[in-house]
Parts: sequence; C-alpha cells; structure tokens
Amino acid sequence: IFEYNGSALVAMVGKNCFAIASDRRLGVQLQTIATDFQRIYKIHEKIFIGLSGLATDAQTLYQRLVFRHKLYQLREERNMKPETFASLVSAILYEKRFGPYFCQPVIAGLGDDNKPFICTMDSIGAKELAKDFVVAGTASESLYGACEAMFKPDMEAEELFETISQALLSSVDRDCLSGWGGHVYVVTPTEVTERILKGRMD
Amino acid sequence: MSRRYDSRTTIFSPEGRLYQVEYAMEAIGNAGTAIGILSKDGVVLVGEKKVTSKLLQTSTSTEKMYKIDDHVSCAVAGIMSDANILINTARVQAQRYTYAYQEPMPVEQLVQSLCDTKQGYTQFGGLRPFGVSFLFGGWDKNYGFQLYMSDPSGNYGGWKAAAIGANNQAAQSMLKQDYKDDITREEAVQLALKVLSKTMDSTSLTSDKLELAEVFLSSGKVKYQVCSPESLSKLLASIGLTQPAAEAT
Repeated sequence: IFEYNGSALVAMVGKNCFAIASDRRLGVQLQTIATDFQRIYKIHEKIFIGLSGLATDAQTLYQRLVFRHKLYQLREERNMKPETFASLVSAILYEKRFGPYFCQPVIAGLGDDNKPFICTMDSIGAKELAKDFVVAGTASESLYGACEAMFKPDMEAEELFETISQALLSSVDRDCLSGWGGHVYVVTPTEVTERILKGRMD
Repeated sequence: MSRRYDSRTTIFSPEGRLYQVEYAMEAIGNAGTAIGILSKDGVVLVGEKKVTSKLLQTSTSTEKMYKIDDHVSCAVAGIMSDANILINTARVQAQRYTYAYQEPMPVEQLVQSLCDTKQGYTQFGGLRPFGVSFLFGGWDKNYGFQLYMSDPSGNYGGWKAAAIGANNQAAQSMLKQDYKDDITREEAVQLALKVLSKTMDSTSLTSDKLELAEVFLSSGKVKYQVCSPESLSKLLASIGLTQPAAEAT
C-alpha cells in the first residue's frame, strides 16, 4: 500500500539550517496523474513536515495535525517546538495502531536557539531521530545511499541545497514510482527558500 | 419577587421570565465595559481592564481580548472563568469546522454554535447559565467584516456598534449618536476610545487600563492585532484623552 502512490522524501541538517525535499509525482500504481503534488507542508515558520506513502492518508493526517497545532497555538500563545511536534505526530499515529495511516512522516524544524531538528517515523509512530539526514518513501533505499555518500556535516544553506537536490534527483531516477521534478525548502533562522527542481520528467 | 421561581434555571416565572438568565446579566453589569465597532475595513474591539494591580503578571496574555481563530476574535465581559470555558469551546468548534470543510468557519455559524451551547444551559441539566457576554469580531468571505453580540441567554445579534458590561446602556446610546455607516477603522478606534473614556468611572485613561484589538485585512489575509501599551498610549495622547498625573508642559 505504501507503493500505491509513490513518493520520495529527504531532510538534511546543515549549519543552523535544514533542508527538506520531496518529489512531485502523484501516481496510481503505474499511471502518473499529477506532476505538482505537494508532500511537504508548513506547520509554522520553523517546522515543516513531509508525508510520504498513501496520498489520501497523508492529506488527512496533515489536516488533523493542523487542527491540533492551531489549538495548541491558541491556548499556549506560542509556536510548538519541533520535538514536541514530533511527539504529537507519533501519538496521533499510534492512536491508529491497529488500523494505521499508511504514511511515513519526515519532520524538520528549527528548535530553541535555532538548532536544527529532524526525525522520521514509521507508520505507527516509532520515532527515529538523526543528526544528519532522514529519508522516507518508495525511493528510500536509493536515498539512503545517495545521502550517505554526499552528506557532510555543517554545510551552509547554499551548499546544503545543492547536496540535497543532487541526492534527491539521483535517487528518484532509480525509482519508477517517484520523480517528475523536485520541491526543496531550505530553512534558515531568517528566511525560507522554496525551489522547484527540474529533473528527468518521468 | 417570587422566590420560588428563581432558583431553577429550567423553570419560567409566572410573568414568563427566566430569572437565572437575568441574574447572569446582572453579574455582567458589574464587569469591565467592552465596546465593538464595525467599520468598512475592519472591526475594532476595546475593553476596560478591571484588574490593574502592578503585581499582576501581564506578559503577553490579555484579559479581555481573545483570538478564537485566525479570522475571528472576541471581547469578553463577565465571569472570566465561564468565559475561558466558552472560548475554548469556540476554538475547538472553529477547528472542527476547518478540519471537516478545509476552510475557515463563517463568523455567524461560529457565533450560532456557541450560542446554542449557552442556550443548552438555560433549558436542561439544572446547571446555571454562563455569566458572560461576548462581542465577536471577524471576517469571512461571504459577508466581509462582522460584529456580533451574544448574552447569557444564548441570544445573539449582528451589530454595527455594540457595548457590553458596565454602563453599556450609556455607551450604546453614545454610539448610536456618533456612529456613521461609512466610518473607517481609524475613526472607529477614536470613537471607541472616546465613548469608553466617557463611560468609565476613572477620570483619566491610561494604556494599562485598556485593551485595544483590531481585526482587519492585510495583503489579503485577516490579521488580528492587539495594540501594545506603547502605541496605545500614543493613540490616547493623540486623541487628547490622557491626562497623565505628572506632566510637564
């Protein structure tokens, strides 16, 4: 079921910044039906979540997260920290332990003092924190390899963008279910840059 | 009058009144005033703070103004603990609507659903009504800017200008005289502050006795802004309403 729509997601940590990237294909098994599908969503200025896996579950899960996050914001009058948000996602996924959402989230955010935070989890909420990069989706095996090879610690925003883009594009080329370009967000304490990548359009 | 009829909320009196609801409105008549004015380009909400001790830790939280959702906010008059429950209920209702329909809840629907909750407490359960009145100010794409007033009975109405809390009758009649249909947001702020200063007990207005919030559109998005104490002081001075105690000319 995880391979029904196809997806590729990767997040990387740099020096006081992070980048999160996804592919743009939405397919129904082997047929491509959209080439501009958004998988990465902004929760607030400093937290982004990418949802891979079944697209309908990704959209519903995102809507539920917006619901919970907005109430949190109104009641606590502040934004959620990435670690807290990750725990929230994990709890929501585990609620459906015996009938899960077929999604694998990738969460990336800047915490207190703008320290970058990334994590991924499986579809029932097992958190996997990492210091360097996290991947998810049908292209995850190629992504693991590509990131391992290309990643260097403490990269600046520009270099991080190049690295994550190369890792994403080369991995989705080996996966028939993901591709049709890339969508990269590079987030620093001062700004968020969103870029669309043109890759092999297949 | 008839003592037998006022201890149960779910019973009418012989004259056809609900005493508990009326007593609740009495409770609100002792609370700080709040005024709302609808203008062409926004809604202005002003409130009088009753608790102004220096010992009170204010930080960022407000006493009278609350945000319900990105596009709706409210001013409160009455028992604060009751108000907190209702505000929470309103927030959850607004989010549930957004979750179901993926768009912001229309202001009137939000007011209506909150008032339905309030009405429930006047008809079943044997619980007392909420002792709070609200002034809701918000924007939606169907009707633009709107101002609603609701009271403990669960009744609500859309208003161009309204006042709740202490001296609300006096404030309401003053608003009726001075309100113009095509008032701008700045003029509305000035009018609200002027009316509030006339109905407040104290002689001079300082920024720590008031709260001012505005709901307006900014680059296509609805913004809810609470005025900071510094800008509020400047505003009061520019309208000529402050008489600070030790002012050297």
